[in-house]
Amino acid sequence: MNLQQLTSSAKGLVKSFGLPRIIIGLFLLSLFITAPFVGVNIGTSLSDTFNRFGMNAVMVLAMVPMIHSGCGLNFGLPLGIIAGLLGATISLQVNIPGPTSFLLAILFATPFAVILGWGYGQLLNRVKGGEMMIATYVGFSSVAFMCIMWLLLPFSNPTMVWGYSGTGLRTTISTEGYYRHVLNDFLSIQLTDHLTIPTGMLLFFALLACIIWAFLHTKTGTAMTAVGSNSVFARASGINVDKIRTLSVIMSTWLGAIGILVYQQSFGFIQLYMGPFYMALPAVSAILIGGASVNKASILNVVIGTFLFQGIVTMTPSVMNSMIHTDMSEVIRIVVSNGMILYALTRKAEVTR
Amino acid sequence: MKLALTRTFWFRFVAILIILVFAVVLFFIGKQHTVLIDNKTVTVGGQEIRALQLVEIQIDNKDPLELAARDRDKEDVTGQKHSVTVIYTDSNWEEYTIERTFEVPLMQEMVLLSIPTLVANPEADQSLWLENYEPPTYAVTAADREEEVIIDDLSVLLTDI
Amino acid sequence: MTLQMTKTQKLLRIMGNNMVPILFLVICAFGIPLSGYSANFLASEIVIRISRNSFLIVSLLIPILAGMGLNFGMTLGAMAGQIGLILISDWGIVGIPGIILAMIISTPISVLLGWWCGKILNMARGREMVTSYIIGFFMNGIYQLVVLYGMGAVIPVRSNALLLPRGYGIRNTVNLIGIRRALDDLLLIRLFGIPIPLATLLVITVLCLFILWFKKTKLGQDMRAVGQDMEVARAAGIKVEHTRIISIVISTVFAGYGMILYLQNIGTLNTYNSHMQIGMFSVAALLVGGASVSKANIRNVFLGVILFHLMFIISPMAGKNLIGQAQLGEYFRVFVSYGVITISLVLYEVRKKRDQHYVGLQLAADQEALQ
Repeated sequence: MNLQQLTSSAKGLVKSFGLPRIIIGLFLLSLFITAPFVGVNIGTSLSDTFNRFGMNAVMVLAMVPMIHSGCGLNFGLPLGIIAGLLGATISLQVNIPGPTSFLLAILFATPFAVILGWGYGQLLNRVKGGEMMIATYVGFSSVAFMCIMWLLLPFSNPTMVWGYSGTGLRTTISTEGYYRHVLNDFLSIQLTDHLTIPTGMLLFFALLACIIWAFLHTKTGTAMTAVGSNSVFARASGINVDKIRTLSVIMSTWLGAIGILVYQQSFGFIQLYMGPFYMALPAVSAILIGGASVNKASILNVVIGTFLFQGIVTMTPSVMNSMIHTDMSEVIRIVVSNGMILYALTRKAEVTR
Repeated sequence: MKLALTRTFWFRFVAILIILVFAVVLFFIGKQHTVLIDNKTVTVGGQEIRALQLVEIQIDNKDPLELAARDRDKEDVTGQKHSVTVIYTDSNWEEYTIERTFEVPLMQEMVLLSIPTLVANPEADQSLWLENYEPPTYAVTAADREEEVIIDDLSVLLTDI
Repeated sequence: MTLQMTKTQKLLRIMGNNMVPILFLVICAFGIPLSGYSANFLASEIVIRISRNSFLIVSLLIPILAGMGLNFGMTLGAMAGQIGLILISDWGIVGIPGIILAMIISTPISVLLGWWCGKILNMARGREMVTSYIIGFFMNGIYQLVVLYGMGAVIPVRSNALLLPRGYGIRNTVNLIGIRRALDDLLLIRLFGIPIPLATLLVITVLCLFILWFKKTKLGQDMRAVGQDMEVARAAGIKVEHTRIISIVISTVFAGYGMILYLQNIGTLNTYNSHMQIGMFSVAALLVGGASVSKANIRNVFLGVILFHLMFIISPMAGKNLIGQAQLGEYFRVFVSYGVITISLVLYEVRKKRDQHYVGLQLAADQEALQ
């Protein structure tokens, strides 16, 4: 290959991968390289990054079904998170300590996820074309609605309710004694003093990712992709577009529920009330960073995107702090994540709607 | 954006110029200063000037201030040109009124007006009895050493609008 | 086959079109007696809210005219206004000159931000609202970069009352005592014991008259054409992209002025949070007034301010008297604020499809009539 072919193929690569993504990737690489020179331990950094990767990956995975079926970016992820929170709180209310509580949480969350997802899907089917904006506000409204519910629902477990009055859930509830680190510590590998790999959590994500990948290759899964690429053509082929879209929304909601449970077991706390309010944005920007677009996403996008995004979120504070003694991480996170979403929204859609 | 020297261009240019001039005018008439009115005994050029027992000061048309000996009061004023009216009774029980105008330098936030000096030299130039004042820095930053900046405050969604 | 609607159908249609304001009327009708507030108190509170918020909400009208939907990017204008206020606070300019100077400073910043926002919205055809929403968040990051790190270091700000102890970056709250109520108190009268800031209301009236006049100008008509059908407008020779950008620029500039008026009433600047919530609440208020994503007028603005803010004021006390927890009332009003935007957006999409459906039916009926 002579120089001309090399540059043109390089240009093609840049164009298909997208300049912002390359910039982000190089930025992260530079952070990792400078880390040891400014006194930040690579082992701890990698450990933290893997940890955050596992925590967030499932929620980013939740984006895939809806992008595939053409419902756009799932800004309504908080709805799924709420299903998960309901599962978690009910599981704690039933009060069976230990790893079983995690399975119970998943069990309880599922019916909520299915019901909420079904309703959400029906709504989205009636507003084709304006899904993303409505998704955002459905998410916000449901979080605000649940704030009222958390105050009123009759929970009684003393670890969950306010001590003083005895009713109404606390803002943050610890998962200590229930399912804290239940996945993290499962088969975790301790490489060095600083480097621990939370294998359990990563395996769990891998399991879910495989299930989704397998699903997308089944008949229903391919139908979903068809609906997303060209809904008119799909309808002509006899596929029930609305039913498939609702199915994708239910799947997204369910994955969102599982995602927040995985997040909680690693984080150690259940965050109620306004906690889930802005949680859709990091997941959306993560998958976009990974190479997805508004109507095309793959599992690879999830892995790459979550790793890059969480890497930046982890590395920037420690490295920048040691370098210039200012914590600009919050600002950088806002600029990077929202900038990425903006970039994706301004690309031309791959197919006409 | 081509820069054609058309009539529209000149109109817009002049309009922007007028606005800029207007902005500068606003700066001048809107700048706030603090006048510290001092009634302390001062030493000027080796000579000691005693403070007055009781004196009434009025800046512009605001409420008059009463100062005893060794008192200091302040008045916030807007703009640069101001008048000061001093009414005092001397040891012979005679009432004196002194009216002077003074000008505060534009970029100066605080000025100190020494009443004894003004009364002693009522015809003197303002540079004798009006001096610039810098507040000691420790007085301002001594408060909150570590003030945390709250960004992304969700509780804000519930507060009053 | 003729498409005549019966009287009941027409009535239902009118109710359906105005569902949101009617819903809010019902909520207020229930809530006001529950809250226990006196009519006098509520009236004076509403007057304050009208004088404080109306300007901001009116700034949303022009993008709706031009078919850009709800301009969540008004946050950018709010940021520009705030930067203007920070600067005049540092320079110590007070009173009306301070307000006007802040407006003059905010204008070029608003124009720049609005122009950039408009360009990006043109690139995201069909998704304007989500994009303007995300632009608001993105610019918040840039704003923080400027205000939290740039001011004091790169941008000369000297006042110790404004800067953080570390030497650069503006504090969480800026005391706007210099301009506090400067415009409100200029022409304050009392009517039945309720203070009415005539000067501010006068400014708002001037803005409303400007909007009415603007709709009649060529630019205004161009925007309406672009809003109705972009391709037809383009065929008619209108510079569609340019017109769309101008609508956002005007909206952003007005949002900047509106934010300054808002803050002069409140008297304190919440440096990092005020601008974020103001966008959402302004949009919610406009929608409560009966506006939709594609149609809004000045009636909607004032009806919306009154209804929305009534609901907002009475919710905590009503919640306390109803269930025993004021916190519940607060969460309720947040829920209602977001819920109303959700319902409005859904209704807009549903109605759009139904109208297209009716147009199709009408076309078929016309075809039949021809035969």
